[in-house]
Amino acid sequence: MDHSITLKINGEFYKLNVKSNVLLLDVIRDEIGLTGTKRGCDTGECGACTVLIEGEPVNSCLVLAIEVDGKDILTVEGLVKNGQLHPLQIAFVEEGAIQCGFCTPGVLLSAKALLNTNPNPTEEEIKTAIAGNLCRCTGYTKIIKAINSAAKKMQRKE
Amino acid sequence: MNTYVNIGKSEKRIDALEKVTGSAQYIDDIRIPGMLYAKIKRSAFPHANILNIDTSDAEKLLGVKAVVTGKEFAANFKNSFFGSPMADQPFLAVEKVRYVGEPIAVVAATSEEIAEDALDLIKVEYQLLPAVLNVQDALKNNAPLIHENTNNYRYSSNIKLVFNNNICSHIEIINGDIEQGFKEADFIFEDTFTDHSSHHVPIECRGAIAQFNPNGSITVWAPDQSPYGGRSLIADALRIPESKVRVITPTYIGGGFGGKLRLSGLMPIIAIAWKIKYHPVKILLTREEEFTSTTVRHAAIITLKTGVKKDGTIVSRHAKVMIDTGAYADRGPTVLGKISYGCTGPYKIPHVKVEAYCVYTNKVIAGAWRGYGIAQACWAYESQMDIIAMKLGIDPVDIRLKNIVDEGYITPTEKQEAHAVGLGKCLLQVKEDIFRKRKDRILENRVKGNGIACGYKISRTPSGCNAFVKLNSDLGADVFVSSIEMGQGVNTIFAQIVAEELTIPFDNIRVLPADTDITPFFPASTASRTTFFLGNAVKKAALDIKKQLFNIAKDILKADEQELSLKQGLIFVTKDPRKTVKISEIMEKTYPGGISFLGRGTFYHYKKENLPSHIKVKIPPTLVWMYASQGITIDVDTETGRIKILKVSAATDTGKTINPITCEGQIEGGVMQGIGHAMFEELIFDEKGKIINTSMLDYKIPSALDMPEINSILVEEPHREGPYGAKGIGEIVTVPTAAAIANAIYDAVGIRIKDLPITPDKLLRALNNKGKSI
Repeated sequence: MDHSITLKINGEFYKLNVKSNVLLLDVIRDEIGLTGTKRGCDTGECGACTVLIEGEPVNSCLVLAIEVDGKDILTVEGLVKNGQLHPLQIAFVEEGAIQCGFCTPGVLLSAKALLNTNPNPTEEEIKTAIAGNLCRCTGYTKIIKAINSAAKKMQRKE
Repeated sequence: MNTYVNIGKSEKRIDALEKVTGSAQYIDDIRIPGMLYAKIKRSAFPHANILNIDTSDAEKLLGVKAVVTGKEFAANFKNSFFGSPMADQPFLAVEKVRYVGEPIAVVAATSEEIAEDALDLIKVEYQLLPAVLNVQDALKNNAPLIHENTNNYRYSSNIKLVFNNNICSHIEIINGDIEQGFKEADFIFEDTFTDHSSHHVPIECRGAIAQFNPNGSITVWAPDQSPYGGRSLIADALRIPESKVRVITPTYIGGGFGGKLRLSGLMPIIAIAWKIKYHPVKILLTREEEFTSTTVRHAAIITLKTGVKKDGTIVSRHAKVMIDTGAYADRGPTVLGKISYGCTGPYKIPHVKVEAYCVYTNKVIAGAWRGYGIAQACWAYESQMDIIAMKLGIDPVDIRLKNIVDEGYITPTEKQEAHAVGLGKCLLQVKEDIFRKRKDRILENRVKGNGIACGYKISRTPSGCNAFVKLNSDLGADVFVSSIEMGQGVNTIFAQIVAEELTIPFDNIRVLPADTDITPFFPASTASRTTFFLGNAVKKAALDIKKQLFNIAKDILKADEQELSLKQGLIFVTKDPRKTVKISEIMEKTYPGGISFLGRGTFYHYKKENLPSHIKVKIPPTLVWMYASQGITIDVDTETGRIKILKVSAATDTGKTINPITCEGQIEGGVMQGIGHAMFEELIFDEKGKIINTSMLDYKIPSALDMPEINSILVEEPHREGPYGAKGIGEIVTVPTAAAIANAIYDAVGIRIKDLPITPDKLLRALNNKGKSI
């Protein structure tokens, strides 16, 4: 049976008819067409499909679309504001925190959720925040450095 | 000393913006109108005859467009076995299955869910056969045969087959006289080391889209480290011209590490694309299928008997190697070659004998894995090097420095001249970083230890390749190459090379995704070869454009070509820099209305694959040697066996660092992969040969919390033929890690582990066993 739901994704409202078993990940990628959210395992283990739901990082492959009816969702595409990259995105580019890029959207969103609640995290707090986002290329060193550097820059601006 | 503008600079990756904004395109992001979705029916048994496959119920399911079986496909494409160097693999199993997870049939449907549902409706009748699940059993006289007719397979003349048993290929290398060497030795050491199967675990699962076209050609979109290799594999198996197969890279690849090579795990897509004809059909493997049905790293058993003089000089080595290649050869025979050649390590050993076997088992197929066998060899020779050092009372760094190959030394196994050996420098830097700070060895029940290991690898030739560079009238340039960007940063390296040679802004340069109809030949983005080989071709292509520009400028400036220089897009007479003409002026004035300049670059080095027994060979001038050394500080919890890695000092010889930040990234990622393999990653097979840890929860790869401090050290020992002296580093950065950890454990608690992975329970058992080696 189809359900009518409304999702607020990256500030825009989408009215959709979805089956009850459809995953949020599939809605974001296939219905909305935002393919920046990546599928890596379908079982919530790799973190590539991380999005923010009401500011909280969630594996979108573990969430049914009907569960988040009316919720505010942020995907990697929503990090750019008015054509400007988010400080985390700038830091990832500058610190070389990207290799194959497949985990990058998920890591960026976990990092954003961290900085929203903890603007000045320690290295251990950063590691814990991204522990659910697996990366096979970088060894995490430059990712941690980039998040730290973005945090510092964002604090200076405030 | 050359001064460069772009080379040696941490330019920002040219793919970074796409990747941080989510706009980078991977295989699963491609949508083609009319596209169908495929799912693969797989074997539930390790070894069984297929008596019958009934697809009628599946075909009746609403939304199912076609089902193809191995029998039907093979009836239309006779002897369509694929594989290089040995074509032993069917697109879909025909008469029998040889491992759990082997493809049997493929369904195409209007959605993934329908295709998945249809799989349950396919009925397969099996006649079970006894399975062979390890190399020791496979080599027994009465072992069941996994391949009955290996002599019918097509195979490369470079490999030596052994028929009518489960040996896939065999290598013997003899140099000098090992018995004589053992007589000269003061001490003889004999140790067996084992290494296990692990998986590449790229975060992106494999996928592909394939389409048979009305003109008989086939188009495949796939994340493949070797678009040309995938093309030739399909064409060779189906006996069609290579030009009829087009392999397109979906811009980016979400990690490869040797796994996404020549359509590994994806070939059944060709069978279903043939069946449904003219519709694009897509397959995306699940994470479980990634583990059960794509290539893994070769498990290996390596015995080294090594003769050493009192002063630590190695004089003789007898190596026996067995690797488990699983149900099909894939790259097994050539991986065996690399392990065999690599058994000496980067050391001068006059007397060497290697006996090596690549063995079939009824398990998942093993293939290329970052290092291509060298990591397995290094695990053995560097563990034994410390055993020798401890027995002789020689410092682990000193014994290595004493034996390292020198410039010009002809290596005993490859018979190639060592060149640009930066290993000594790597070792000394690591020693300085790790061993200098030795302190607080004991803290309650935690014991600290330091370990060191060295690795080396060669990139074998021929590795011919071409590149095109197109200079546009706005001074933007496009680079056409068939390397692939899988995270290693090669596109950025090529942009730096073109910017350096044409003196145009770095940001103006794009590198196009590989497409075998458009971009020229390159063997594969493997073997750490891309920067060295293709980098040279790209540089030549850029220089070709520069030559064309100078040819026009010489008339404008009334000077000889040799008298001209190029800087920041301006051509000038070197001795009279007032006489100038801009590149843009040349393009506009010479070709009003517009033009592009096309540069061609070819780099080819033929390297005869010398048979090891032929000692007197002419030594060709080029071969790329790559070197690295790693030092690791750990602490061991003697109550739990838990090992904590405190620090890794990783020195790698880059030849010439083209981009420091991407080189550091390779080292950090390589070390992490090395730690994962050494300490906790392991494919676990049940008694039926089925892998039981097929999720990322049960097969744990390192997370950020497992991350130690890594000090990446870039050593530069320029290669005479590398672009700017550069060599590749992608594989060597992961090779020494396991042995360095094992050596650190010995340093800490006096226990020698010879069997990977080194898990806490294994170490605890050894600790409880009063320090006896296991």
